[in-house]
Amino acid sequence: MTGALSRLSTSGRFLVAPVCLTVAILAFGAAVPEFPTIANAGNVLAQMWVLTLLAVGQMFALLTRGFDISVGAVAALSSTVAALAANHWGLPALPLGALAGLVCGGLNGLMIGSLGIQPIVATLGMFVGARGLALLITDGGQVVPLSQSGIAAALAYNSLAGIPPIAWMALAVVVAAAWVLNRSVLGRRIVMLGSNPDAAWLVGIHPWRVHLAAYGLCGLFAGFAGLLITIRAGSGLPTEGTGMELQAIAAAVIGGTALTGGVGRVSGVVVGAAFIQVLFTGLNLSGISPFLAGVAVGVVIIGSGLLEYALRRFLSPLEQNRRMA
Amino acid sequence: MLNFVAMDEARKQAPKTDRGQAVLEIRGVSKQYGATCALDGARLRLYPGRVHAVLGENGAGKSTLVKIVVGAIQPDAGTMLLAGKPATFRSVQQAVSAGIVPIYQHLSLFPHLSVRENLSAFALGGTRNSRAAKAIVSKETARAWLDSVGLTIDPDTELGRLSIGERQLVEIARGLGQSCKILVLDEPTAALSHAEADRLFAVVRQLCAAGTAVLFISHKLEETEAIADDLTVLRNGRTVIDAERTERVNRDTLVHAMLGETVNVGVRDLPELGEIIFRARGIRIHRRAAACDIAVRAGEIVGVAGLVGSGALEIGAALAGARETAIGTLAVGDRIFPTGNRERAISLGVGYVPSDRHVEGLFPVLTALQNASASVVPTFSRRGLIRRASEHGRLVPWLERLKLQPLRPHLQASGFSGGNQQKLVVSRNLALANLRVLVVLEPTRGVDIGAREVIHDAIVAAARQGVAVILASSDLDELLALSHRILVVRHGEIEGEMSPSSGRETLIAALAGRGAP
Amino acid sequence: MTMAAAGSPSIRFAYRPPASAAIAFVAFVFFAILVPRFPTLGNLENVIRVASILCIAACGQAVVLILGGIEFSFGSSVALASVVTVLTLPDTGTLGAFAVGAGVVVLVGAVNGTLIARFELPSFLVTLGTLMIGAGLASTIAGGLPIDAPASDAFSWLARGRIAGIPVPIALAVLSVAVLYFLLAHTRLGRFWYLAGANVNAARLAGINVRFVVFAGYVVAGAFCAVTALILTSRVASGQPNLAPNLPFETIAACAIGGIPLAGGQGRASQVVYGVLIIAMMNNAVVLLNFPVAYQRLMIAAVIIGSVLLQKLAGKGWQTGARSGGSS
Repeated sequence: MTGALSRLSTSGRFLVAPVCLTVAILAFGAAVPEFPTIANAGNVLAQMWVLTLLAVGQMFALLTRGFDISVGAVAALSSTVAALAANHWGLPALPLGALAGLVCGGLNGLMIGSLGIQPIVATLGMFVGARGLALLITDGGQVVPLSQSGIAAALAYNSLAGIPPIAWMALAVVVAAAWVLNRSVLGRRIVMLGSNPDAAWLVGIHPWRVHLAAYGLCGLFAGFAGLLITIRAGSGLPTEGTGMELQAIAAAVIGGTALTGGVGRVSGVVVGAAFIQVLFTGLNLSGISPFLAGVAVGVVIIGSGLLEYALRRFLSPLEQNRRMA
Repeated sequence: MLNFVAMDEARKQAPKTDRGQAVLEIRGVSKQYGATCALDGARLRLYPGRVHAVLGENGAGKSTLVKIVVGAIQPDAGTMLLAGKPATFRSVQQAVSAGIVPIYQHLSLFPHLSVRENLSAFALGGTRNSRAAKAIVSKETARAWLDSVGLTIDPDTELGRLSIGERQLVEIARGLGQSCKILVLDEPTAALSHAEADRLFAVVRQLCAAGTAVLFISHKLEETEAIADDLTVLRNGRTVIDAERTERVNRDTLVHAMLGETVNVGVRDLPELGEIIFRARGIRIHRRAAACDIAVRAGEIVGVAGLVGSGALEIGAALAGARETAIGTLAVGDRIFPTGNRERAISLGVGYVPSDRHVEGLFPVLTALQNASASVVPTFSRRGLIRRASEHGRLVPWLERLKLQPLRPHLQASGFSGGNQQKLVVSRNLALANLRVLVVLEPTRGVDIGAREVIHDAIVAAARQGVAVILASSDLDELLALSHRILVVRHGEIEGEMSPSSGRETLIAALAGRGAP
Repeated sequence: MTMAAAGSPSIRFAYRPPASAAIAFVAFVFFAILVPRFPTLGNLENVIRVASILCIAACGQAVVLILGGIEFSFGSSVALASVVTVLTLPDTGTLGAFAVGAGVVVLVGAVNGTLIARFELPSFLVTLGTLMIGAGLASTIAGGLPIDAPASDAFSWLARGRIAGIPVPIALAVLSVAVLYFLLAHTRLGRFWYLAGANVNAARLAGINVRFVVFAGYVVAGAFCAVTALILTSRVASGQPNLAPNLPFETIAACAIGGIPLAGGQGRASQVVYGVLIIAMMNNAVVLLNFPVAYQRLMIAAVIIGSVLLQKLAGKGWQTGARSGGSS
């Protein structure tokens, strides 16, 4: 009995997102006629990826016991850089935007890992700085229309088995993230650093390198999100992304990523982001204010925390009894 | 059961051959930290297949020496010979590659990884590969390593699900997988239950039989005497006893070597007893334990003895109202207070010195004065306003009485030594105006001899003022010297009571579960 | 690591300014030389007026940081307050409406305090949750667009009025700093905040009612934020669901630049003041120099990072020290 409960408390966190998603789908499915349609499903599956990419990136930062509040600004910067690069050198230069994200993330990683600055302060600096840079290169915040918007629109809105090509690309990138986390040495080292930072150096891990990589990944995924934004909008958007950093953290946390580090699954984060997207879409379709989605997300975050509290309270005396005997 | 007597016998009966060549030798090693000299020409010789204990008071240089051995720090002077050849380690990884494996008190394992991944942690940390599968040991290998330390668990279990004792064994198994020639254990039994400590020592014995040298640091003299083959004693950074066979050194010589002077560890002049002022009824720290009743009189010092994991500290904490999950009633005089509410307990004059000052007692970034006054803030504040002069006037005399070194009340607490930090926590309670009951847990753990004396004096003085004292400790000498009577705790229950005059052996026997106390 | 009262063992402590004072001084001199219009009286009043609003909210954030927590919900509480204020204006008049608005912010603080103190949830999580809930509620109630309030002198007095010749926001900021200083340096509750922030377990075992102390901290932070909310609402004279989304970040930056560590147990009112002044001076100088907004952002980023780095390099001892429960 205690074994099962103990398992529940450790992996129970990964049940929150699927349960919430199921409840949301059922609720909206029943209440809103336009919801349970193939078209709408396709809609959700097309739109959820910006948030998903940001949240997956955030997961890497959270795993190391940190977080990154600059991802929204970095996404905007990447979006802008991508558009400028595409206009200058042609569409194949779009991925340079993601590179910009990687560099920003790397800077965050250096500040946190090498200079020892707290994540909130370092990423706050990047939050302000990246936005400033985006404004700078666009002469005060003007959008950067893509000169070859036709191809971009095709990528963004054509249907490839019901879902646009960029959605598939985003999915591929997310799958790659899962591989990195679970099957690569880097992924294991990121988990080790978050799980026991003191022991990490003992087994030969250089913490600053892992921080650099983790935040670099976070920035890279923010960069991918920026690419996605540009392709969908047909322009680079330097003022986009405000408020998305907190939504990304919310999606990651609902998806089971622990704020204390060491725990996280890419699949969970994807489901968490999907849940938030379903909320927005459902509320939109139903005519209820879409702002209530924010309320629902906030309630789920706090609710999952309370659930963990209840499990802790319930389990701890049982755990103590087991030890004492 | 941690059967010291049996272990002692077993060790004495083992064949005592010539020790052979030292697998590790340290000569003339010195290390300076700013103005403090941590090590001054220290020596150490480790022989294969033998358990070697390093003893010394706090500040003697034990942990510095160990850090040099495992490569965490470099000495300023001196040589280290590994199997006769000079060796210098610039990092712990280098030492580990050379076969020296450290097991610290705070384990270097990763609770969120599986056991198998933990066993492969060094490979994961050092490999140049990008695929984890290449660095992680196979399930069969993992099982083999776990078997060698007596653990039969599924290697894919998440490490966080294991108990501390099991985790320690996993760490040792990991060390074995690194073909370890020297195993370094730092205070290994501090957090173990008796069953787990037993298992640990059995594994240690096995390793020695296979030729590994085991170096261990311990404060516990009885444990050292029972399990160590050789001893080194450090004092003030120098080696005072070097690699002597344990059976050639008796207890008094040991203590003398550690302290440099004879210390009166004899019985003190204890106060007379008054009325019963503290009553605990039906106290149980977990559901299956038998309930116990304790009554303590004014001026009485009741010792609570128990081995690590016996529940003695938990019972002590419960008596102070510091343990929410305990069941029973607590009363000072005729005023009852709940088992989990320290605020109520303090208002009734129940002081509490927790066993782990770092986690539960100190405020490291605050000043000594703020640390000492933490429990009595209402006494020097009026209508919600703090009166500094009053705080100073109330607490500094206590700091003087306890000989705080240096006597600087506005120094950050983290700048004081362990013994002086403990004095801050103690004075916090002594300063309670209405102090009637004082519960102290492990009051002199990690505390130097001078501070220990001062704290003991203070406890007795409080009792003499009519305070009822409950003293839970794993230090038998402390209990025997200070208690009017001693309660023996095993398995979370009070099994019996004995008088200090029955002597050390009787107490040990009672803790071991032999003979009626 | 080791700080002591300068000199004598007597009770009178020598005042030791925080490290950020030096940075503020250097910044002031630098800007005064670089930008001719900077050190004029009119401009300095402007700097302080702008700084005031941030200062009041930063006082609230400082309390939470001392407790070892973090407050994100400021970002939406002020918005929610402004919407609620404007909506109740017709029914309750100006004073009543402001009271309701302030009450909303304090209520959010109380909710945060309860979740954090009673259920021991991490403050990051809780205030993130209430931030999102508050933002959602504000937008839903307002229908997504700002609601204009009827122009009235009474309504805009908080932002534009003067009291004894001093602009009201500045007076309120001075008052807030004084209250914060008083709470931290002279009250029992303030002392308990330091103890709970330095080691919550030890505080509980020492007999302190940690639940109440933490709860009170978030409520007091809410009160500071409430004043900010009212001033901001008064300034824009409308209910804005997106009033100050970056307020939590700005207040955290101000406290960090001022030298308040995020780990808890330390912090002084003066550090808040210097941190806010540094940010305000820098913003002002950039505007005076006619730099585009982009440069403003980049400079703020540089100042945040640089200031924190400088204080790290100067050594922890200089920054923390014995004044934690302390004299200013």
